[in-house]
Parts: sequence; structure tokens; C-alpha cells
Amino acid sequence: MLEIKNVTKRFNGVTAVDSLSLLIEPGGIYGLLGPNGAGKTTTIRMVMGIIHPDEGEIRIFERSFDEKAKERIGYLPEERGLYRKMKVLEHLVFLGEIKGVPARVAHERAMKWLKKLELGGWEEKPVESLSKGMQQKMQFISTVLHDPQLVILDEPFTGLDPINTQLLKDIIDDLREEGRAIVLSTHLMDQVEKLCSKICLINKGRKVLEGPLSDIKMRFSKNVLSLRFSGERSDLENHPGVEKVNTFGQELSITLRSGADPNDILRHAVQRGRVERFDIGEMSLHDIFIAQVKGEGGEVEDEAI
Amino acid sequence: MKLFKVAKREYLERVRKKSFLIGTILGPVLMGAMIIVPGLIFHMSPEGQATVAVIDRTGSLFDEFDQALADTLGDGTRMFTLQNIPFTGQALDDIRRELRFEIESDVLDGYLILPEDIVEAGRATFYGKRVGNIKAISRIENALSQAVIGRRLSGEGMDYDIVRVMLKNVKLETMQVSEGGEKRSEFGLMYITSFIFILMLYMTILLWGVAVQRSIIEEKNNRVIEILLSSLRPFDLLVGKIFGVGAVGLTQYAIWSIFALAISFYGLSTGALAQYVTFTWVTLVFFVLYYVLGFLFYSTLFAGIGSICNSDQEAQQLQTPVVMCLVFTLIIPMAIMQNPDGAFATVVSLIPFFAPIVMFMRINILTPPAWQIALSIAFLIVGIYIAGMVAAKIFRVGILMYGKRPDLREIARWLKQA
Repeated sequence: MLEIKNVTKRFNGVTAVDSLSLLIEPGGIYGLLGPNGAGKTTTIRMVMGIIHPDEGEIRIFERSFDEKAKERIGYLPEERGLYRKMKVLEHLVFLGEIKGVPARVAHERAMKWLKKLELGGWEEKPVESLSKGMQQKMQFISTVLHDPQLVILDEPFTGLDPINTQLLKDIIDDLREEGRAIVLSTHLMDQVEKLCSKICLINKGRKVLEGPLSDIKMRFSKNVLSLRFSGERSDLENHPGVEKVNTFGQELSITLRSGADPNDILRHAVQRGRVERFDIGEMSLHDIFIAQVKGEGGEVEDEAI
Repeated sequence: MKLFKVAKREYLERVRKKSFLIGTILGPVLMGAMIIVPGLIFHMSPEGQATVAVIDRTGSLFDEFDQALADTLGDGTRMFTLQNIPFTGQALDDIRRELRFEIESDVLDGYLILPEDIVEAGRATFYGKRVGNIKAISRIENALSQAVIGRRLSGEGMDYDIVRVMLKNVKLETMQVSEGGEKRSEFGLMYITSFIFILMLYMTILLWGVAVQRSIIEEKNNRVIEILLSSLRPFDLLVGKIFGVGAVGLTQYAIWSIFALAISFYGLSTGALAQYVTFTWVTLVFFVLYYVLGFLFYSTLFAGIGSICNSDQEAQQLQTPVVMCLVFTLIIPMAIMQNPDGAFATVVSLIPFFAPIVMFMRINILTPPAWQIALSIAFLIVGIYIAGMVAAKIFRVGILMYGKRPDLREIARWLKQA
């Protein structure tokens, strides 16, 4: 549905996106992750045709980008923006119209969405009278009003309370079930873990990590053990499969060398002391993110790429 | 066309405001007042009585001067009261000091020194507080000339009473020739009507041109721009904006034209206002045409400025040269009116920066050759095209730039890139 091929974009000699390739398919939620300044927004802007890549190609709906494609993409920018003096419903109809939706249809859909997002009754109020969270929801409506096949959401949850966050998550999930492709760009790793089926981590304009979320988690999980152990810590440190050992109270957290088998470590530990708890720990996406971005755990990075 | 959706939004947003209605109605009233009030003051101030002292060093010219300065006020009283200050023995400087004191204490409006050789040299000096009162001064000058010329002629042996009759001034009545015949035209009246039109052109072009600029800056600041650009091409956005805002101005012109035509029909049918109606429907057509062209030209310039600025304050700096071009057209009307067909007027009225107002002014005063009007329109259209191309390129890059304002070198690079 969306294919980004070796795309590069430079601004005044600074490379914002560096030969990046992505493939996004319908029916899934694709997490686009990265620290500030990683090139996420630039990438999205190129997809939207707001700016043009210096090199590479972007194909949307199996063809290269044209103006018509904009009508089939919904985009929630990170920097929200609405005309403050305009009335809510009129504003939504306008945003629908410039996406090529006839005014009457846009009107109907806007009414339906306003109700769905609990904004019923605000149709004739000026945008500036809405709270920040409400404006956020209104902006989200404008993203989906034209029934797009590809939905790009840049930090959709910022400024929403837990209830509205849940409401929005459910709706995003519905959109996925309807067979749309969804790109979710965010810093909130727990949202990504709950929503995304596939993720891509970019840093400094380059792809660092990509794949189905479950694969990535599995790949990283094998490397960490947590252990409650009565023996000597040095006994474990001497094991060839152990990279390093950290103590957290009574528990030890053991990072393994690549290729080491956790069961070997367990056997080794049982021979030298008493094991009360043994857990092949899951590294949270948050930790993976930080590890990758900070460039820590060099071997991990090697394996990932 | 998405362009028109943008235009529609821009248009409705402005037309629905109360300030639009108020501005549309009050605009011409205020402008009329701005012109008519100083005009009235100009006309009225010399109509008051003035007391002028005369130091007649010839010792004999006073009576003739007094007779010649017989202008009267509406109620038949004399406009000027002259005091003959005898010039005997006392030093001139002492007399002048006294007179100066009287002027300062508002007993006198001024004093006049007629030197001994005035008949030969033809020079005299007037001292007064309000020497800027052109009408009063020219009246004094006229009367003095009459007296002096009368003296010269009677020196040649002619009877002074005959000379006075012979020297009677000619009053010139001016008639304007235009389609549909001739009508009485007072220069002052035409000046006022033209100036109201010119000021309205100036105000609307400036007001709505800057509105385009502000609306771009506003969209940049509230980040709506990103949503808009993810839906339509920058070109559609720019042109839609210009059309929408321009249409607001056109609506004002439509309202004004209806009023103007209604007034002129009423005036002509009752005859009451006939002499004040100095515009025709041709004037109105050119009025609207030059607004449209002038607005398109200037609003594209303002749009270019808006797209490289982040705030109105920042834009104010950059827009100054553009605004100065418009202001220039308000400084030169006197020069144009004195010689509306001269080289200066002709050249200025062809330059796109000035054409909308200056050419309209010329059309209003006299009818310039058709080729000049056509050429000014053609130049304007070319100007709009070039400004549009440049603005569109700057706009495309500039609207997504936040932070530092680009310098000229950078803008030149954008132009090459796009």
C-alpha cells in the first residue's frame, strides 16, 4: 500500500532522512518509532507530498505519488492546527471538501463522527471554545472524514486523558479491522506494544530496527535473565555465556552473550547454589528503544540489523 | 476545484464579520470626511475678516490698494480691513516691533511693507502669522498688482478710473468634456471626487493585500498549514486565498457602486446633486478594474512576504518597501493633476506598482489615449504573472519554514530550486 524506497532528504546539508526504505501493508498498525529529530515527521511529510524527497521513490497505492493520492490518505500531524474562529461542523466540512468529499457527504460523516467521539452538541460552537482534548478529537475526525485507506497518525494520544486515549485506541483498532493501513508515529512505547503489529525504529534518518513486534521482542528477550540465587555472584559472572550481571536487591539481572542458551545458565546456577526464581525476562520495547538509540549493547544491535 | 473551497472559506470568514459591514459603510464616509473637512477649512478660513496693517513707504499707494482689495464676505462686509500706518520720523524697526507685538496678541493678522520703489521694482513683503493661507495671500497680491499696474499706466498718462475698469479680472469657468456632453466642473469638486476614489483604491488594495499576508502568517503559526498541504497543492492554497480575500474587496466595491449609482440617479433625476456627480459608469468600471489588478499585484507581493515571516511584526519590516510604493501614489496626485498628460504622469501610470492608482486618477481627470490605458493594464497583468511565479515558489518552501527568516541568498536558492 505504501512503499518507501531508498528515500533521502537533506535540509541545508543536514541529512534528515538517509536512504530509508519501508513497506506498509493494509490491515495492520505500523509503528514508526524514533527519538526527536530522527526523521519521522520528515518521512511522513514526504509521504503526504508536502515536501519532496531528494533521492528515492515513494509509491502509494501501487503507483508513484500524485495529487489524487492525498485524497486517500488521512494525516494527523504532530503539530495540531485548526482555524480557531471557525465553527466545528463547518470546519470539518471544509477539511472534508479539500480532500475531495462533497459537502453533503462530509456533513453527514462529520455528524456521525462527532457523535462517536462524544462531541455531539458542539457542532455550531467555535473551535476555540473547545478544550485541548476536544480539539484533538476534532482533528482526528478530520483525519478520517474522507474515508482514507492509509491513515498516518503522528502522536495521536498527546494531551488526551486515559478515557479518551482508550476511546481513540478502540477506534484505531476498528480502522485496522476495516482493512486500512495505519501508521502510528509515537514516543509512547506502551501504546506501541499494545497496538502495533509491526514496528520500525529510525534514528538519525536511518532505519535501526524493523519487523513484526513479536519477533523483535523475542529476539531481545533471550538476552536477559532475572534470577533469585543464593550462591556467589562471581560464579555466574565466570560463565562463558554471561555478558554481565547486575544486582537488583535480591535479584540478579543477567545479560547473555549472543548465542548463549538460558538453560545452560540455569544448570550452571543450580550446581552452585539454590535458585528460587528463574525468569527469561522480556525486554520492554521502552528498553529496546533506549538501548538502540543510545547505541548501547553493541552486540544486540548487530544481531538486530 | 479545491482552490475555490479555500477561496470560499476565506471569503465567508471575512464577510461574516461585523467589522466588514461597518468598514464597508464607514469607509467611504470617513474618506469623504478626511478630504472634505480639510477642503472646507481651506475654503472657509480666508472668508473670515482679516486686519492688515500697511506701511506705505511711497506715501500714496494706500488708497488705490485699499480700493482694489474690495473682496467682500457673504454678508457684504469687507473681507480685509486695512490700517494705514503713517511712516514718519519713527524708525522702521520700531514700527515693525510694535506691529509684531500686535500680531502676537492677535490684534493684527499681518502687515505689509510697500517699499518706495514698488512701482518700478514690483516687490513688496507681507509679514503674518498664517502666511500659508494661500487664498488670502493671493488676494492681497492681486490687489497690490492692480494698484501698482494702475499706477504705472496712469504714469503713462491714462486716467486711473479707466485703468481700473480695464484691469478688471477675468473669471474663468471650467467645463469638463466627457461622454454625454459637457458639464460644469469645478476643479476643487473634481479633485475631491477623484481623491475619494483614489483613497478608496489605496485603502482596499493595502487592507486586503495585507490581509492575505496575515492570513498566511496565521496559518503558519497555528499550523493549519500542514493539514491544508496534505490535502491540496500549495498553488491552490495561495491562489484560493488571494481570490477569496480579493472577492471580499469586490463585494465592498459592489456595495459602494450600488450606493454611488443610486445617489447619482437620484441626484440627476432631481437635479439637486447634478453638479456634484462627477463620475460616470465608465469611472466605476475602471475603479473596479484597477482594484482587481492592483489587488492581485500587491497581494501576491504581500503573500511572498507572509510566507517567509513568522510573525506580523517581522513582516512589517519587510512590507515597508511595498507599502511605500503604494504610499508614493498618494504623494504625487498634485503633481499628476497639474499635468495629467505630462511625461512624468504618463510614465508613472504605466509602472505596475503605481498604475492602479495613478492611471485611474488620470482617467478620472482627463481621458488618456486608449493605448496608454491598454498598456498599463498589459504591464499590470505581466507584473501579476511575474510576481505570482516568484511568490508561488517562495510560498512553496517558505510556508513550512519555522524559525529563522531566510536571507536573500537563501530565497534566491529556493527560486532556482523550484
